[in-house]
This record gives sequence, structure tokens and C-alpha cells, in this order.
Amino acid sequence: MTAWALFVPELSLFGAALLFLALALVRTIRPRVVFLAALAAAALAIVLGLASLSAEGMLFGQSYRIDLFSQVFKVLLTLGLFLVTCICGDVSGVDRRRHAEFYLLLFTCTLAMMLLSSAVHLLSIYVALELSSYSLYVLVSLRRTHELAVAAALKFFIVGIVSSAVMLFGLALLYGGTGAVYLDELARALPPAVDQPLVQVGLLLTLCGFFFKLAVFPFHIWAPDTYQSAAHQVTAYIATASKIGAIAILMRMANVSGGSPYLVQVLVGLAVLSMTVGNLAAIAQKDLKRLFAYSSIAQAGYVLIGILSLTPEGYAASIFYSLALLVMKFLCFLVLVVVAADGADIDVAHLAGLHRRSPLLAMALMMSVFSLAGIPPTIGFTGKFLIFNAAIERGLLPLVLIAMANVVVSLYYYLMVVRAAYLIEPAAELPKLQVSPVMKLLTGALVAVMVLCGIYPTLILDLSSAAAAALVK
Amino acid sequence: MIAVGSTDTTLLAAIAATKLPFVAFAVILLLTRRRPRLSAGLSLTAIAVSLASAGFLLVKHWGIARPIEYAALWLAGGDVSVRVGILIDPLSLIMLAVVAAICLLVQVYSLGYMAGDPGFSRYYAFMSLFAWAMTNLTLAPTLLQLYIFWELVGLASYLLIGFWYEKFSASEAGKKAFVMTRCGDVAFFLGLLLILVHLGNLDIRELNGAAAGRLSPTVVTAGALLIFGGIIGKSAQFPLLTWLPDAMEGPTPVSALLHSATMVAAGVYLFARLFPFFSLSPTALGVCLAVGTVSMLIASTMAMVSRDIKQVWAYSTISQLGLMIMGLAAGNYVAGVFHLTTHAAFKALLFLCSGVFIHAFHSNDMVVIGRQGGRRLRVPMACLVIAAAALSGIPPFSGYFSKERILGALADLPNPLWVAAGLLGAFLTTYYTFRLIFIILFPAPGGEDTAQSHGSEHGHHGGYAVMAWPLVILAAVSVALGFGEKAVAQFLLNPFGSVTPAAAHHAWLPYAALGLSAAAMLLAWFEFGRRGAGQIGFVERVAPLHALFGERWYIDRAYRWLLDQVVYRLFSRLCARNDQKIIDGAVDGLGRVIAAGGGRMSILHTGMVQYRLIVVFVSIALMAIYFFI
Repeated sequence: MTAWALFVPELSLFGAALLFLALALVRTIRPRVVFLAALAAAALAIVLGLASLSAEGMLFGQSYRIDLFSQVFKVLLTLGLFLVTCICGDVSGVDRRRHAEFYLLLFTCTLAMMLLSSAVHLLSIYVALELSSYSLYVLVSLRRTHELAVAAALKFFIVGIVSSAVMLFGLALLYGGTGAVYLDELARALPPAVDQPLVQVGLLLTLCGFFFKLAVFPFHIWAPDTYQSAAHQVTAYIATASKIGAIAILMRMANVSGGSPYLVQVLVGLAVLSMTVGNLAAIAQKDLKRLFAYSSIAQAGYVLIGILSLTPEGYAASIFYSLALLVMKFLCFLVLVVVAADGADIDVAHLAGLHRRSPLLAMALMMSVFSLAGIPPTIGFTGKFLIFNAAIERGLLPLVLIAMANVVVSLYYYLMVVRAAYLIEPAAELPKLQVSPVMKLLTGALVAVMVLCGIYPTLILDLSSAAAAALVK
Repeated sequence: MIAVGSTDTTLLAAIAATKLPFVAFAVILLLTRRRPRLSAGLSLTAIAVSLASAGFLLVKHWGIARPIEYAALWLAGGDVSVRVGILIDPLSLIMLAVVAAICLLVQVYSLGYMAGDPGFSRYYAFMSLFAWAMTNLTLAPTLLQLYIFWELVGLASYLLIGFWYEKFSASEAGKKAFVMTRCGDVAFFLGLLLILVHLGNLDIRELNGAAAGRLSPTVVTAGALLIFGGIIGKSAQFPLLTWLPDAMEGPTPVSALLHSATMVAAGVYLFARLFPFFSLSPTALGVCLAVGTVSMLIASTMAMVSRDIKQVWAYSTISQLGLMIMGLAAGNYVAGVFHLTTHAAFKALLFLCSGVFIHAFHSNDMVVIGRQGGRRLRVPMACLVIAAAALSGIPPFSGYFSKERILGALADLPNPLWVAAGLLGAFLTTYYTFRLIFIILFPAPGGEDTAQSHGSEHGHHGGYAVMAWPLVILAAVSVALGFGEKAVAQFLLNPFGSVTPAAAHHAWLPYAALGLSAAAMLLAWFEFGRRGAGQIGFVERVAPLHALFGERWYIDRAYRWLLDQVVYRLFSRLCARNDQKIIDGAVDGLGRVIAAGGGRMSILHTGMVQYRLIVVFVSIALMAIYFFI
């Protein structure tokens, strides 16, 4: 019975999901009530996640491992869920009657991500991944009055099931080659098999499923359309929480891979392509969400650099960067949600005059964009510094060179965003933005986190290092 | 974080000097934005206390031999550790005093210059941010801290240059400055990582001490060259020099601040900071010498044809920074640092004087200013002449002493080419400086008719007195500083133990330099000063040369072309085409089909998604096949 106590954070989300299922059946419920319930449930999940941070154990016949690594990611995931719920006060992009279903899917997806971060059995990994993906397919299509949402959701779906199929094939090859289904068995079986094509290709194909989640080249093709066509809050969720789950499982799989040089080379190639394609394509974007989509693809490349170092330092850097990504990208979307309060898509140019309409939001946008571009003293700089440092220690100087060049290229479009917010005057004077005090507090707190963790990363970094140590143990 | 001894006045003063401007920045931005006078007062108080602390530190530690360092661990992992803190040694003390003094004077001057601007508070907030970043950069004990504030200086300058954001050119110039200096910073950052990985930390003292000897020569050379990349970007050296003239779009006091003693000088400061490290690699020093020389010469030629008064000083800054780098690279630490100090005073003075003219006549064109009676503003005119004399290296002004030292260092080098280049640079500098002076002082007759349009009514409106005081102070410093040469040299060399052997005496050098300056002045007089002079320089008579210099040796064009053709057209379009043709095509097609009431599954008939998926499969297949290669 005590073993079940380890599963409480997941259970709380499951309970919340059931609650929203029930609420979805009640037609007369007010959206505001649903929103507050969701906020409370998400906050509770964070508290439970933090409380079980130091929990350890195995569940469900050794297929579910609870260690510091998984628990840190669970806290990050619930944090992401909570933050996204915070900006759902007015989900104008989704039909009012569907709000309860919206939260049902959001919580289910987070639950699936949490399962993913703990799963150590090939099949439980696959099932958790599918569960999170299916929730997202529906979430994307929920957008009201957007004729392309369904189309984008379908495309997302098709690319998703193709990746799933590839991944299943990879899992089958892995199983066929090694006879192992548990990750710790794999960790023993893989290092001797570095030159077996069956196993190595199987491993690669397995990773493809996670690449799809993380929107790494060439699996990024769904990202721009999906980002643009989904409701802003859903996009925010895809860009933040769903990426973190993918990073967690990718790190777990990379860790058992046994450091085959082939895999590292492929990952290097993918990282370079993701960064380059993402950054260069972002320059040509006008729609803000599309721009963030390409920026996400590029950021996924940076994360890969940390993972492919295959060292505890690299993992710690990637975990640290996950938090950085969560905060930076979320702030961008927070600004987007407030500026486009009616739920319509906006161009970069629509940010014009933002510094007059809301100085706080303009500042938050500037800081988060600078953080994404890796300008000190923000968390984005410290994260990149850690990642690049880990890669150089591994002897990957050329890769870091390419990444640095990419950082400069990315500065170009990030500055376009800042320029729009600060330096361009709107054609017609726009009214001041109404930002509630709670939102202001949230924004200020996140900016503070971004700067403080940039200047004083030790606390988070120690936690990340401990989590990475738990992973490689 | 840092152990604070209650009696440790040094630490308290250092903290006051480096942290107060940030407090001012935060308070202004958060609380006093609507009250411009209060904001300015806050900012001025903060920087005044900074200057007082810097002065106190300088007096207290005059003659220290061992650097004082306060530091705490910032980041440690594996065999890597990085610390933060404060490093006090002669170099950082002198730089801190210079930075704080220039910041204060420029802020006082801005009271008059920016009076009535709608963004007055914002301006002072940015000024404080800049002062904070710059003072912290100066006292940084590790390269990482230096790098962080280095970037913040860049950010603050971006905000200041683009301050008049309603001016499109200003915001573009701010962006250009930021992006171009970032290019250099990438190299700097890589150098930093390289050193961190090989040395295990980034302490400046270790790097300058015996620890660097453990590194292999290749690593030292590579590290030094990469860091020099950052210096090239920040100090606007060849080939990243074109952002600086454009950055003149900002308010003139900003130009004075950024381009005299602080932002661009940060590059040279970094060089001086790591001077012992750079000295380990003759190759790196050779590259630095060459880059400094090229920058100095081509920037001088650009200054010879510009009519924009601020542009001339901008080019002149590049050229003087090049000269400092030459001095350092020639192995003379004192010469480079001393010229950095004197240059800070007289270049700030040049900009601030020009600011008065621009403020009074609403024009940047030296010919217009001359015709409208620029010489009637006596104080700025006199100060301008003093500063110009210092820039040209005419005794007894400060520039003479520092330039003489650099030329001496160049003459010590075995190859006479360098000292020849230095002398040629001195000639060009004097020529373009006095060209400007003579054009303003002796306007060509016949142009006076436009004079009344502006001159008098805009002449001395509010704040002129406030603007005049900094000029007078800086002029006094420009005159006096040269005589402190020996003391400063002794102070700077203290930590190195024994004084370096006196340079071989080159008796002919001062005569050659002075003779060339005199010749240049005469040439300028003949072409621009004498009664009935055509006011056409010899360069302007040769059309191709004029075009070459005026177009900045086509460097900007080359960058533009590269950016447009290669980056934007080729790559971005290529990536975006994928997006538009294929993805959008699919989506649009789908949208139409759905709108027409077709089934949702008709996505399968649009064909485009399959095409994309084929690309995915091919990629996967290639990755799989790669295993067998």
C-alpha cells in the first residue's frame, strides 16, 4: 500500500481529469468555475510533486521508476501545467461549452507526460507517449472559428502516427536484437552491441518518436502549422510542458544507449540541422506564433547538444535548460495571450507600441526574448553556457562553433520582436492593455526568476546535477 | 556571498562604486518615471558617489603592488569553477576613475542637452544602467563576469543609441551596433570556453600569472585570437568597424559616453587586462598589431572626407583605438593604457563640444556650422581647439605624451614598417582634425546668408551653462594630464615588480612626429584655412579616392550584399519556401476542400503531406544507412 503513495502526484492529476470529465457533462457550469477548479488542481499537483521530490521506488512490476530525475521533471511538468492554466482565464479561442473538455485533455496530457518521465519499460513508454500525443491532437483541433485548426490537427496527427509507427518498428528491432524490454536490461545489453546494425538502427528509430515530440528536424514539419492554428494557450502548452516530457524520455533513452559513436554522430547532425533550419526559417516569419515555432525547433537543437554529450554534466545542463525554456517560452506566450486577447493570430508587427500599452509586458517580452537569444545575465545565457561547456569538455568544439553561429543568427529575429515592441509606433494609437494584478505579479515573478536563476544558478544547478546523477546511477 | 569586514573600507567603496548606478536604474524605471528632475538627480547622485568612491580607492591604493581581490564561488561542477567578485589593481582603478568621471560629466552635460525631451527619465535610467555595467566590467576578477557585463554594456548602448526610436535610422543603427558587436562576442565567448576547458577557471590573475604557462602554445594563441575577436567587435576594429559611425545617430552625449572612454574603450581595456596572457603568444600579438594598424589607417582616410562633424570623431575614435591596440601589441603596456586615459578626456571633449554646436545650429554639417557662425560660441570653440590639439599630438597637450610613447614602442620593433604606419597615421589625424577646425573657424565667404535662419534664436537656450562646465573641466584635464605621465606609468607598472627597461631612445622620433603634424596642419591651412581657400581637400579632387573613402572602403556594401544575397535570399527563402509552398499549400488546399464540404479525410488526397513524409522517411533512411558507412 505504501508503494501507491509514490504515485500520488499522478493520481491527483488523474482525479482532476475525471473531475473535468464529470464537469463536461454538466451543461450549465460556468467557465469561470471550471477555470478556478483547474487552477486549484494544478496548484495541488505542484505541491504534491514537490512533496514527493525525494521519493524513490519502483512500481507496477518494475516498469515504473520513481527517482529524483523523474520527480524533478514531474515538478517541471506540473509547473508548466499550472503556468499554462494561469493564462487560461479567458480561453477565447475555444468554445465556452468545451472548456471542461479542454482542461480534461490538458490534464490528461500532463499525466501522460509524467508517466513518460518515469516509464522504464518499452511498452509503457510507448503507451504514455501515445496518450500525451492523442490529447494534443484533440486540443489542437478544439480551436473555434479557425477553419485551419482541424486541418493542422490532422496534419499533426498524420505526422504523429507516422512517427509512432517508426518508433514501434524501432522498439520491435530493439527487442528483437537484445531481448530486453526494461531499460536497465537495455543498459546492459546495448554497450556490447555498438556495432550491431539491428540494435543501433532500432535505437535510432525508437528515438524518432521523441524527436517528433521535441520537433527536431526532420520531424519538425508539424510545428509551424500546429503552433499557428492551435489556440494560444494550447500552443503555449505544446511549446513548454510537452517539450519537457520529451526531453526527459529522450535523456533516459540516450543514457541507456551505451555511448555508441554512431548515435552521437546522428544526434550531432540532427542538432545542427534543427538549429540551422529553425533559425534561418524564423527570420522569414511574420506571424508571431510561427516565429516561435521555428525558434522552438532551434532551441530543441541546443537541448540535443546537452543530451548528446552523454555525460552527467551534459544531462544536468539540459535539465537546467528545460527549466529555462519553460520560463522563457511561457513568458513569450503570456505576452501573446494578453496582446491577442480576442484569440486571433497576430503578426510581429502587431506588437508595435507595446511599450506604451503595457510597459511591464514589453519588458517581460524583451527579457524573455533576450534570454532565448542567450544574452547574459539571464537564465538562457547560463543554460547555454552550461550546455556548451559540457559539449566542449566532451570534445565537440566544432558543434559548439556552429551553435554559437546560430545564436548570432537567432539574435536577428529576436531583435525584430524587441524592435516591434519598443521602437515601432503603431499606425493608430491603441488603447492601454488591461492586465490584471495577478497577471502582473506572475509576470514580474517570472522575470525575476529568469534573472535571478541567471545570476545565481547554483540552487537549480545543484538540483539538476543531483537529478542527472540519479539518472546515470 | 562576499565576506564583508565591517572595517574594510576598500570593499565598501568598491561596492558603492559598482552597485549604486544599478539602484538608480531600478528606482528610476520602477518609481520615478513621471518625474524627470528627480530621476536625473538620482542618476547623478549615484554616479557622483561612484566617482567619489573611485577617487577614494585610487588615493588609498596609490602605489599598490599586489592586486586585492574579493571573490565568491558562482558556479562549480566537475573540474570547472567560476567565481564572481571584485578585482582591484592599478589598471582597474585607473579605468574605474576614468569611467566614473566621464559618466558623471556626460550626465551633467545631458541635463542641458536633453532638457525637455519626453524621454528624459528613460534616458537617465539607461545612462545609469550603462554606468553600472561599465563599472562592473572594469572591476571584474574573472573573464566570465567581464563577459556578462560586456554584454550588458552592449545592451545598454543598444538602448541608448536607439534612444530616439522615432528616428528609423537611429533604431536601425542601434540594431546594427548590437548585432555587429555580438559577432565579435561570439568569438570572445568561444575563447572563454576554450580557456575554461583547458585551465579549469577564468580568473584573470591566474590567466596573467604562471598558470597560463601550463597551457600549450596552440591553446594560448587560439584563445588570445578568439578573445581578440571580441575586442575587434567592441572597439570597432577592422573588419567590424562600420557600426560605429552609424551609431552616431544617438544623442550626442551618448556618442561622447560610448565612444570616448567607455564602451568602445572596453575592448582595449580587455586587451590591457589580459596583456601578460596575450604576450605569451607572438602570433596573436602580430595579428593584433596588423589589425590595429589597418583600422587606424583606413579609419583616418574615412575621416578625411566626411562633412558630418560627429562622423569625423567617430572615425577618429576607431583610428585612435587602433593606435592603442598597436601600442599594446608592440609590447608597451603603459603606452596603450596611458593613451586610453588621455584619449578618454579629449575625445569626450570633442564630442561634447560638437554637441553644443549641433544643439545650437541644428546641423551636423561642419560647413553649415561654420557658415552660421560656429566660432561665435567661444567656450566650445576654444575647448574644441584644445581637444583637437591633444588629438593631433601637439605639445603640451596630453595626447602628445601618450602618442609619443606609442610611437616610441613602435620604433622599438625590428620592422620599421610599423612606426612608418604610425607616423602616417599621425599625419592623417592632424590633417582631418584641423580640416574640421579650419572649416568651422574660417568659413568660406559668401555662405553667410543662411546664417540668420537658425543661429541666434536657437543659440543659447536653456542649459548652456550646464553644458559648458563639463567642457571646461575636460579641457583642463586634457591640458594637464600629460604631465602626470611618469607617475601613472610607475603606478601601472607596480604589479609587474621591476620597471621594464627603458625603451631605446629615439631622439629623431619627436621631431619626425611634430614635423609631420606641422606639415599636416599647414596642408589643412592651405586648403581650408587661408583666405580664399577653396575648402576642397586634396582627396576630394581625386574622384575615385573620394568615393572609396566616402563609401567606407565599400565595407558596408560588402556586408549588405552578403546579408541580402547569401543569408536572406538564399537560406531564409529556401527554408521559408518549404514552409510556404509545401506546408501552406497543403493547408490552403485542405482549407478549401473543407470549406467545400469535403470530407475531413480528404487530406489524404492533397498529396502534399505525403510528399513531406517522404522527406522524413528519406532522412530516416539516410540516418540508418549512415551506420554502414
